[in-house]
Amino acid sequence: MTTTRTAPPASTEDAPTSRLSRISRLQALQILILLVVTVAVFTALRPETFLTGFNIRGIVQNTAIYAVLGVGMTFVIITGGIDLSVGSVLVFSGVVADKIMVWYGGQGWGTVLVGLVAALASGLAWGLVNGFLVAKAKVPPLVVTLGSLSAALGFAQIITKGLDLRDAPQALVNDIGFGNIVGQVPTIAVVSAVVVIFGIVLLHRTRFGLYTYAIGSNAEAGRRAGVKVERHLIKVYAFAGLLAGFAGLLNLGFFQSTTIGGQSNTPLNVIAGVAIGGTSLFGGIGSVFGTVIGLFIPIVLQNGFIQVGVQPFWQQVVVGAVLVAVVYIDQLRRASALRGTSPRLPFLSRAGGAGSASRKGSA
Amino acid sequence: MKRKSTAIVAALAAVALGAAACGSDTDGGSSAGGGSNGNYKLAFVQGVAGDAFYITMECGIKEEAAKEGATVTVQGAQKFDPTLQTPVLQSVIAAKPDAILIAPTDVSAMQQPIAQAKAQGIKIVLVDTTLNDPSVAVSAISSDNSAGGKAAFEAIQKLAPNGGKVLGVGVQPGISTTDARDKGFADAAKADSKFTYLGVQYSQNDPAKAASIVSAALQKDPDIVGIFASNLFSAQGSATGIRQAGKQGQVNVVGFDAGPEQIKALQDGTVQALIAQQPGDIGVQGVQQAIKALKGESNEANIQTGSTIITKDTIDSPEGKAAAYKASC
Repeated sequence: MTTTRTAPPASTEDAPTSRLSRISRLQALQILILLVVTVAVFTALRPETFLTGFNIRGIVQNTAIYAVLGVGMTFVIITGGIDLSVGSVLVFSGVVADKIMVWYGGQGWGTVLVGLVAALASGLAWGLVNGFLVAKAKVPPLVVTLGSLSAALGFAQIITKGLDLRDAPQALVNDIGFGNIVGQVPTIAVVSAVVVIFGIVLLHRTRFGLYTYAIGSNAEAGRRAGVKVERHLIKVYAFAGLLAGFAGLLNLGFFQSTTIGGQSNTPLNVIAGVAIGGTSLFGGIGSVFGTVIGLFIPIVLQNGFIQVGVQPFWQQVVVGAVLVAVVYIDQLRRASALRGTSPRLPFLSRAGGAGSASRKGSA
Repeated sequence: MKRKSTAIVAALAAVALGAAACGSDTDGGSSAGGGSNGNYKLAFVQGVAGDAFYITMECGIKEEAAKEGATVTVQGAQKFDPTLQTPVLQSVIAAKPDAILIAPTDVSAMQQPIAQAKAQGIKIVLVDTTLNDPSVAVSAISSDNSAGGKAAFEAIQKLAPNGGKVLGVGVQPGISTTDARDKGFADAAKADSKFTYLGVQYSQNDPAKAASIVSAALQKDPDIVGIFASNLFSAQGSATGIRQAGKQGQVNVVGFDAGPEQIKALQDGTVQALIAQQPGDIGVQGVQQAIKALKGESNEANIQTGSTIITKDTIDSPEGKAAAYKASC
């Protein structure tokens, strides 16, 4: 998964945009360096256990579901929006898929396929609701998806009476959730990598991706250039919902449970990964590759800290610090890119006052 | 421009490294695998970090391990949740301990991750909670939770001798221990004709939800005499719900476990009785079974430990004090 490369930016017409997209790639690259450094540190501390096949396999498995959600979230955030509902939509889709698979019966691939359709349809439905309310009803995305976060979880609890369902078919659990595609390469990670590569191509190589960037950079300019902004926004939220539905099925395979109570922090963890990965929360800039690396960092930190024997609460502190620091560096770089000068840290710069004044423009 | 941001990246790595270095002394610094006689490396995966029940168990584990010359590392997720415990367990497995003592947070979701540990040749002992198929473990040690639930009903019988309606406030279904407690309570309540059992409602371990459940239940049935709250947050929330409804004194809350907060709640009169398990004993026996398995001796597949009823009258007695859980070793 880490061997995939970001495609070159789709739009290179005007200078500031190309400079910014180059910087966003640079950001993803620097996050990759941070990840490599983290891995190197833990490898040095625990040479016998950290960089083992089993451990890498575990880290990749634990990132897989987040990565699927992260692809959709990256698109939404690039449009300047946000999707807080992914965790609840995941649970809802898992619940619907579970119910339908039980109704269909059987433990084989046919049942899994039925469950897949059910999960994708449920996710897509929530995505369309989110998209319609954001694009047509003009309700702010934060509010819309906060609403669907609550409602989707509520519906999931109504359907299940609050009791987790555990009826995942054997094929889903043994072959997708915990199976290997070849050797020790976990299927769930390969499935997730396929989604990630699809996301990278869609974002950087297609008109769909170009429109996504355009809306995030300047929706009005996009509209005047002939982009159907509202319809495209609906599509982006629908795509995020669809992926959350897919993640719901993967989650069911991995945990053999709909994990109703366990997804409350999922959207925030995914958003943190997207932000660490260099996607601007103001929209217009970002990459799927960066998101994947950004999602790996907290999981690698947790894994390493546990092996080294650090109190588990430290992980939260360090992830929080990394998040803020990374976005801060990013802001500095972006501000200087807009000015066309090389970045200076304000506390080192003689012209610090002037620098921070002009930085406002970048927001 | 590259140099400065690279410097910050390096600084961040240094922070991470610093934190790692600070904590690394807790595991005794031995990364080599345990020998065949003694010096075993044990790992304890708690159900949730920072909980008095698991801390008391940890104390028992560390004490017993020290006697055996074994080292123990302790890790737990921040919530009692299989989605959080799975990555913790996976990291613990990767560190290659000789045996893992674990309190699984879900009977089915933790089955595969724990089977992976077994596949790595690690001996598994289940402490407190269990799995659908406990045969992956050499031994499963838990409180007799069904008897604990029954004891909770006995406590209500004493507090409300005239009988009446009783309600269960559970955590969430699928946790083997609390399910057994709820069932033990339900069976005992149904067996006594003076009492009407209203069923169990689930708080998802959220005090606010427990409070709204209880205040709604008191709207429907204002004459409830007893509530069995099968864990701390359920008990705290139940007490809040009773206060909201203005029914203090009428409704008796029996809580489970005896951590510092529960003991304080008993002293305050928020709850009227506590059912204390013996987590320290579970930990001690867990280590004994793990060491036996590592030495190739035979194991007891199932061990059940007892429980104690603590009320305001017995709280300061030597037995009451011994039954209370510890906040630190």
